[in-house]
Amino acid sequence: MPLKERISRNLSASCSRVPLLGWLCGALIAVTLERFAGTPVALALGLPKIPALFGLDIMLKKPILVPNAVLYVLLVYGLPMGVTTRSSISLTNRLAALLFRFPIAVTVAVHLALLYATLHLWAGSSDYRALVLKLTLIAVMLTLSLNVINGYMGEFSCSHPGFMALGAYCASVFTVGLFVDDQLFGAVFLPPALGPFLFPVALILGGFLASFGALFVAIPSFRTRGDYLAIISLAFLFIVKSMIENLEFVRGPRGLSGQPDWADLPTVFLWAVLCVWSINNFVRSTIGKALNAVRDNEMAAGAMTVDTRRTKVVAFLFAAFWAGVAGGLFAHVLRYVNPSTFGIQNLAEVLAMVYFGGLNSVYGSIVGAVSISLLGEALRPLEIFKWIIIPLLLILVMIFRPTGLVAFKDLDVTSLLRPKQNQGGKV
Amino acid sequence: MPILRVHNMSHDFGGLRAVKDYDLEIEMGQIRGLIGPNGAGKTTIFNLLTGIYTPTEGEIWLDGRRINGLPAHRIASMGISRTFQNLLLWRHMTVLEHVKLAHYSKIRYGLFGAFFGTPGRNREEAEIEEKAVLLLDRMGIRHLAEQVVHNLPYGAQRRVEMARALATEPKILLLDEPTAGMNPEELEQIMEIIRRVHGELGLAILLIEHRLKVVMELCERIQTLNFGAVIAEGTPEEIQNDPEVIDAYLGRESVI
Amino acid sequence: MVIFFQNLVNALQWGSFYALIALGYSMVYSILMLFNFAHGDIFMVGAYIGFGVSIGLLALSSSGALAMPNWLILVLTILFSMFLTSFVGMIVERVGYRPLRNAPRASAAITGLMIGIILETGNLALLGARRVSFPSLIETTVYDVGGVFVTNKKIMIVLVSLLLTLALHLFVRRTKWGMAMRAMAFDFAVVPLMGVSVNTMIALTFAIGSALAAAAGILFGVAYPVLDPYMGILFGWKAFVAAILGGRGSILGATLAGFLLGFTEIFVAMIFPSTLRDLIAYSIILLILTFRPHGFFGEPYSARLRL
Repeated sequence: MPLKERISRNLSASCSRVPLLGWLCGALIAVTLERFAGTPVALALGLPKIPALFGLDIMLKKPILVPNAVLYVLLVYGLPMGVTTRSSISLTNRLAALLFRFPIAVTVAVHLALLYATLHLWAGSSDYRALVLKLTLIAVMLTLSLNVINGYMGEFSCSHPGFMALGAYCASVFTVGLFVDDQLFGAVFLPPALGPFLFPVALILGGFLASFGALFVAIPSFRTRGDYLAIISLAFLFIVKSMIENLEFVRGPRGLSGQPDWADLPTVFLWAVLCVWSINNFVRSTIGKALNAVRDNEMAAGAMTVDTRRTKVVAFLFAAFWAGVAGGLFAHVLRYVNPSTFGIQNLAEVLAMVYFGGLNSVYGSIVGAVSISLLGEALRPLEIFKWIIIPLLLILVMIFRPTGLVAFKDLDVTSLLRPKQNQGGKV
Repeated sequence: MPILRVHNMSHDFGGLRAVKDYDLEIEMGQIRGLIGPNGAGKTTIFNLLTGIYTPTEGEIWLDGRRINGLPAHRIASMGISRTFQNLLLWRHMTVLEHVKLAHYSKIRYGLFGAFFGTPGRNREEAEIEEKAVLLLDRMGIRHLAEQVVHNLPYGAQRRVEMARALATEPKILLLDEPTAGMNPEELEQIMEIIRRVHGELGLAILLIEHRLKVVMELCERIQTLNFGAVIAEGTPEEIQNDPEVIDAYLGRESVI
Repeated sequence: MVIFFQNLVNALQWGSFYALIALGYSMVYSILMLFNFAHGDIFMVGAYIGFGVSIGLLALSSSGALAMPNWLILVLTILFSMFLTSFVGMIVERVGYRPLRNAPRASAAITGLMIGIILETGNLALLGARRVSFPSLIETTVYDVGGVFVTNKKIMIVLVSLLLTLALHLFVRRTKWGMAMRAMAFDFAVVPLMGVSVNTMIALTFAIGSALAAAAGILFGVAYPVLDPYMGILFGWKAFVAAILGGRGSILGATLAGFLLGFTEIFVAMIFPSTLRDLIAYSIILLILTFRPHGFFGEPYSARLRL
């Protein structure tokens, strides 16, 4: 067997034996290493400082440093991760098996804690990283919630920015109105100490408002499908945007600012986890499968006892709720919100994430959101080319994999967290 | 008391009267047939009985309850189920998912359970899965449980559709040309399944069929439909010899 | 009363743009069951091509090589731009839609959206952020008709639009190609059996639709000289709504709906504060679509190209 093939076989064989726990531990060790030794390594490699986004950010600003950045990534991320995961395969498998004996909630909690620790350490080294991470998590929420409507239920809904806007503004009015000394809303109404505890309330209220708005799209969906629903949802988008622009109460097109700084990384992370978890639970349940049935053949679904109207309403309202929460988080991360954010540009971005990542798939939404967000950040210096490269990429994906990269793939938590069998090199 | 009673049912599509004064009474455990040339209105009758259309006139009583005008999913949950002439399966779903979904109306856990994975929901989902697997077993397609339906051969798809219809635990089953497109071997298998299902579950069955062999062998009584009206009704022997039927249907391009 | 007629004239003009653009959407929809989301941006491209052509012709004329009166330059601009933009449309079809002929329609819709974005960004990249100004080729003459002020430009715009619509109608009804298009709208699969190339017909549909959009772009440039790369977004999406409202596949429907949208916007702005214009106009549209989901002349499951 040629050497290259032997190496790749070995690699994939050993990779398949690493449980998720192993990858997370490896990642944690890598970012810890970066925290302590990152800067000296970077300087030694000729980089001015730690590359913020895996070197993607250097790509356009100083292309000559790209090889150095690649080396950095390999040295600081690749190597430690590879070495630790590989050498600890049996240990991590045993740990995973041990955890597995407890109720599933325990192993989930451990994995999430490790994931969070990794993200926290990684983001700790710069505000920029923290911002990108938070926005990416929010993108995941948006993408997944849109996937519920467009992917699982097979509609073509253009109303998501509208839901986001409703959530963003509702949450902002709540927090600014009650907790911030503001010209618009008057003096502080409640003691600031209460704030962070009432933040979830603000977000949930935003979600509910978005859900309420979703009725205006869900109800017409009873009678119309496909293209007509696209128009109705588009009209909804314009109406919400226009409505906000005309509300002097929230300063119209000038936007609302001054949101308290309560959307920190743990908060955003927790909400994102809650979102992914609840949506995944929903789409894997039999009630959730009804969405697929309505998509694939609505008449047959009705004949098989599925209440198609209830299904549509639940799907729209649930998805809108999470879009609203994501909007609220978004407003509080940026601490500013204005209606022009929630227009066609935003629609194109979020549609791109859904269709790129993959329809009808939680994995797909995560992949789509993370890739497009990171790519967008990497291309930010050349704002213009961002909007040529990303569309081009999406067109390519549409031509070769019309339903997206990772479509129709179920996320089964149990099999994800399970220890991997120690088999001999079976790929 | 008849499980299904239809009285004077008529239906118009715009200016066209597609079904005229249709009457039917089926008791539990009976197998009835509905034959007639293409376009006679047989599938329309099925659509009316299952609530896809609301009849312009007439009444339908299922198990003593009036069902005309109710939404299709309500009617389906009240005990009437069907298969479709053109196999309306759900392309992207697996065989098991098809059968599980038919339990929709019986699900007790609500949205809270759906979103948050409560123990109650998990238990119920396990029950649903168990029942579904058993049903697939009975239909001989358990080995196909995880297959996505559009990859399956036609014969298997027909069984999936029947399994799905049975999963709603109906009192009466409407089969719309269940043997369409089958070769003689598959035909025997399907007929065997229908007999078995009828025997084990004691359902009432109303069968639309073009293959007279199937209708003659399985059905106790047969109605013949032409241009939306019943032109003859009786036992298989009576129908076979009825001049009207022969004229309207058997005289034309007959099938097997 | 005067105000009413004044606004009517404005509405006719505004509606002309929507109608011409909506026609392109409708034509493509009737044949491919697909909305070309790049169409609004083709309107923009047409306007910019018109700008380029007119500048070129003006330079040619003023250099003395081929002196032409301005009105002739305008006519030539319209014709050349329609011709050139039709190629843009055909390229978009070839590159973006043909590979996706058998893919789910949502994927094709997304592709169209992305192509539109590329057109916008491409424009921005090539010409920069500064806005260009369509050269003035017609002297504005204002006619006073019983207190209502009508400019010659407005008359010209409405007339040209109606002329083009009529030309399209004649094409669809009287020519062999038009007949093939109508046949395709009824039954896609049958047409190749009749010896007509599907690819050619689709390319032709896109070409005509794009040409009409280009005409709209230039007429827009005549009325509102300042162009910007994102002008297609606003017009494109609204004309899209008009195409749906008119019932997909119906030429008459698209035209009427385009004018209706124009009227709605202008008259809403007349009665309510202008910031509420979009809000109310779209709410009305939403209401209409809720009760008549298939538009005025649309049919639920078959799309027919007819007038």
